[in-house]
Amino acid sequence: MSRSIHLRTAGSGRRRTSTLAVAVTTLLTVGLPASTLFAATAPKVGAACTKVNATSKDKSGKAVVCKTKSGKKVWQAATTTASTVAATTATAAPTPSKGLSKTSGFDGKSIKVGVITALSGPAAVLGKPLAAGQEVFWKYYNEEKGGIAGKYPVEVVLEDNLYESNTTVQKYNKIKDNVVMLSQVMGTAPTLALLPLLKADNVVASPASQDALWVREQNLFPIIEPYQVDAINAMDYAMKSLGAKSKTICAVIQNDVYGEAGLEGLNFAADKMNFEVKAVAKYKQGDQDFTGQVNDLRKAGCQIVFAGALPTEFGKILGTAAQLGFAPQWIGQSPSWVDSLLLTPLKDYLTSRVLIVAVGPEWGDPTVRSAAEYAARVKQYKPDQKPDFYFTFGYFQAQATAQLLEKAVAMGSLNRDGIVKAMNSLDKLTFGGLASDYPYGPPEDRDPSRFSTMFKVDPAAPFGLRSLQFNFTSDAARAYTFAKAK
Amino acid sequence: MNDFLQLCFAGLALGSRYALVALGFVIIYKATGVINFAQGSMVTLGAYFAYNFHRTWGLPFALAVVMAVAAGGLVGALIQRVLLRRMVGRPVFGVIMITIGLLFLLTEVMASIWGYDARDLGDPWGIDTVKVGGVVLSVKDLWGIALAGAVLLAFFVFFKFSGIGLAMRAAAFDQEAALARGISVRRVFGWSWAIAGAVAALAGISLGSGPAAVTPSLGLIALAAFPAMILGGLDSPLGAVIGGVVIGITQTLTAGYQPEYAAFLGTNFHVVMPYVVMIAILLVRPYGLLGTKEVHRL
Amino acid sequence: MTPFRKDSANPSMVRDYGEDLHIFASRQTRVVLGLFMVLAVLAPLKLSNFQSTVLDYAGIAAIGAIGLNLLTGFTGQVSLGHAFFLGTGSYTAAYLGGQRHWPFLIFLLAAAAVGALVGAVVGPFALRLRGNYLAIITVGLVFTGQHVFESWTSVTGGLNGTSVAAPPRIGPLDFSRLVVFGHRFGRDQGFLYVIWVLVALVALTSKNLVRSRTGRALQAVRDRDVAAEVIGIRLARYKVLAFVVSSSLAALAGALFGSYQQFVAPGDFGLFVSLQYIAMIVVGGVGTTFGPILGALFITAMPRLIEQFSDRIPGVASSPGASGITIFSLNQAIFGALIIAFLVLEPRGIAALWLRVKAYFRAWPLSY
Repeated sequence: MSRSIHLRTAGSGRRRTSTLAVAVTTLLTVGLPASTLFAATAPKVGAACTKVNATSKDKSGKAVVCKTKSGKKVWQAATTTASTVAATTATAAPTPSKGLSKTSGFDGKSIKVGVITALSGPAAVLGKPLAAGQEVFWKYYNEEKGGIAGKYPVEVVLEDNLYESNTTVQKYNKIKDNVVMLSQVMGTAPTLALLPLLKADNVVASPASQDALWVREQNLFPIIEPYQVDAINAMDYAMKSLGAKSKTICAVIQNDVYGEAGLEGLNFAADKMNFEVKAVAKYKQGDQDFTGQVNDLRKAGCQIVFAGALPTEFGKILGTAAQLGFAPQWIGQSPSWVDSLLLTPLKDYLTSRVLIVAVGPEWGDPTVRSAAEYAARVKQYKPDQKPDFYFTFGYFQAQATAQLLEKAVAMGSLNRDGIVKAMNSLDKLTFGGLASDYPYGPPEDRDPSRFSTMFKVDPAAPFGLRSLQFNFTSDAARAYTFAKAK
Repeated sequence: MNDFLQLCFAGLALGSRYALVALGFVIIYKATGVINFAQGSMVTLGAYFAYNFHRTWGLPFALAVVMAVAAGGLVGALIQRVLLRRMVGRPVFGVIMITIGLLFLLTEVMASIWGYDARDLGDPWGIDTVKVGGVVLSVKDLWGIALAGAVLLAFFVFFKFSGIGLAMRAAAFDQEAALARGISVRRVFGWSWAIAGAVAALAGISLGSGPAAVTPSLGLIALAAFPAMILGGLDSPLGAVIGGVVIGITQTLTAGYQPEYAAFLGTNFHVVMPYVVMIAILLVRPYGLLGTKEVHRL
Repeated sequence: MTPFRKDSANPSMVRDYGEDLHIFASRQTRVVLGLFMVLAVLAPLKLSNFQSTVLDYAGIAAIGAIGLNLLTGFTGQVSLGHAFFLGTGSYTAAYLGGQRHWPFLIFLLAAAAVGALVGAVVGPFALRLRGNYLAIITVGLVFTGQHVFESWTSVTGGLNGTSVAAPPRIGPLDFSRLVVFGHRFGRDQGFLYVIWVLVALVALTSKNLVRSRTGRALQAVRDRDVAAEVIGIRLARYKVLAFVVSSSLAALAGALFGSYQQFVAPGDFGLFVSLQYIAMIVVGGVGTTFGPILGALFITAMPRLIEQFSDRIPGVASSPGASGITIFSLNQAIFGALIIAFLVLEPRGIAALWLRVKAYFRAWPLSY
């Protein structure tokens, strides 16, 4: 799945006519220059206004002629149907600013960033909203701010990784020379797989996962508190509000790095708060029968079970538990949840037995600064978007990437070294109060947020989650330190 | 002890689903000598049919099940009619490859229509349970077990007493001799695919019941039903059911006890347990427990 | 005495058995092959990264497919366990090449040797099981193999996979950053040389094996193993030999795959991969030497081309929110449809299509 998401611009009307068949023959006959294969999808906007705002668009979808500061007449591309298009290339600078040289992913006019996420397979439930969050942010940023530095619109190169490590590596190799950085890589295991290559190529990637391992990595650009912190805070909450001191605590996790991240936090909390993790059941993604795992937890007499799972399996685990009459207090790591679970007979069980630990406020919470603004933006650029925190995560990531790219442009280089340098001199990442600021700098100075939010399942709430305790932290979470990935 | 019984019941429930899938394999193999790799996607398709009739169209569950079974049978017959009729007389390997092609095609067609989200079949059993002694039995599992038993019985009656059943047995025994006796082998093939499709739909409904269990990967279970089918012998319906139950119980017991007593085998050993059992049994009995021994002729 | 030269320029007329056994049918074939080789040497100068990647993966697959073809196409043993042997090779490369820093050629050979060993262990199963039972038990092999790959964490990195830092360095030459006469080849382009030289060697070896006494024995086993046994062919020896050769070639392909992709995970060696390899030899043409190479090119290049040109295909989802089929789904569906189409319409594969076209033009303009 390779495509630059772009607006149908006036210029791209001149599509190349070569069909698949022609391309195949050409390829077989050898010697087709790379540009004809790659550039085919890139919109050809000759030049445009330096600054565009939403009002300068012609509703009929025709190109609008406007003038740049230098007085030159240029073409302004406009949207045809805003609902079907994604991030835009509405505008491009007539000439690159001084010193900002072309580099892979930057042609002097627009900036390309990569998004590698699961669009097919069981994890697409999470991957699609993650990518959609990016889509909406870039659309907003390009249209209202004119892109990075007000003149370089951002295009997204979208790839489907099926939530598989091997596919992620293949897709990365495919697009790495075509993007300035990756503004999203979905999955903990896929990111870990990519890490050696990112280091070798000095490419920066923003992981759509929250492992603590990412914090000290030079080539990763994490944006939110790690799973470990969430797990620790969740246990702190359990101690204070659920009487966990006197209860048996267990865990069920997916048997990969994603599951282990939560377990690591749980073990850290166990150490700090003096409790024991009595049983840990593990499963493999795609398992069909969970009787063994659930039975283990039941046998151990678990009363609080921390779950580091993905929605499809989480639903099955809960279903098996409900059918075995096993009803502990479940606390799910954020990616375990999806609101469609509420459409099943499990509704009552979920409402009474499940809590979720995650980041950020309830969707559209009026008490939180800039939440309304965010909601309005989503409504404008993707009216059919349902409340969903994967979507929010994708949006945050794009927001952080924009801050990084702004810095890089300000520092005068969009090449790989330039982006790393810019990342190291970023003061902090901000999310308009929707999530805590993230003090940045060189990897050793990054200080991720130690705040989490506890949610309870409530069918009446947006995304089925009602906030119990918003943005809280704990001593144990503050004490947690971060090491490098091995 | 309760734990053990609980695991055995879970194994029986799982095994009865394997058995239903394996029965679909067996009927096609028996009549045509082909292992149908697309059986898994026919299973998934059956579950989605039932989902569509019940949840999307709002028909009563029982009616939706009947219609899904009919639709499954129709799809089976259609596959045979459109694709496999042309392959009569060609090497079996080619037909198997076609079913592999179908596996990919059907899986993606379904994913494109219904997406990747887990769907809830909306079966009337939900998460109801009954308690017998210290063992919790879920109602949907009880239905699943009863269903497998009923289908096996129906098979027995069908093969023994119906005309087409007899024709199938004859065709399976010796195609040429059957043809010589005026049996339409093509019709037999068509019927066997239709029945396999209907059984697959039943298996799909059995697998898809319970909370949010209908997903495009539902049919992957067919791969775990391979060992069940092989274990019993490729051409024996009774063998398929015995194989299914043996594999099911072995698997849940492994999941229950292996992490504690044989941790060195790695996490999730229960996933491969069916294959280990299969390999072990095949080495001792190359044609499974109840399979027909092939006679080598020059 | 004979008025004809033994080495006839006309490949359509084969006059004796010795001629039929010629490795290249005619001078014409040799000339074409020679030209092709010159082209192959020059091609990496001009190929883009994308095109090189496609050809790199295709070449790797071709080596594996030639191996599978020896087993399934020439010896008639249907194996769905090829992915397991590929995995064996990949992890051998990851361990010996990546962790132990063995030189490139040595760990390639070691991978092939490990593959051969594993093949020798699995081969005897084929003596006891035939046809469908063998096919299914090799499915079991894939699953148990994946479990081993997932569990043997120290070597394989478990479910998370492992990076393979095993560059293709032969003596002073590092093909991943090759510089010849000042021309700097990209990684993908440099790898083309390594991979396709190996493809040529493997194809040649396979062709030679097939036309030898051993090859005839293998084909006799395929055509009727009981009959072969009766005329004095030792079944045990040849069935196991076929497994050994096929799995060592698969392991070689796996080692190259690891070295090229720089990362492998158990997901790379699932049943789907086995099915893909079967599809390669079926689509290419079972029981021909050239077929598996064509099949590998076709099956590996097709999804990448579809991906590249997906925006021209109607009905494909263009953004994460949009409806329509995803590229992945489209690819899988087309893959399925192609297998069906080939088997129904041209069961002998692309190779046969080619022969037919050739036959048509041979008699041109009087072709019917």
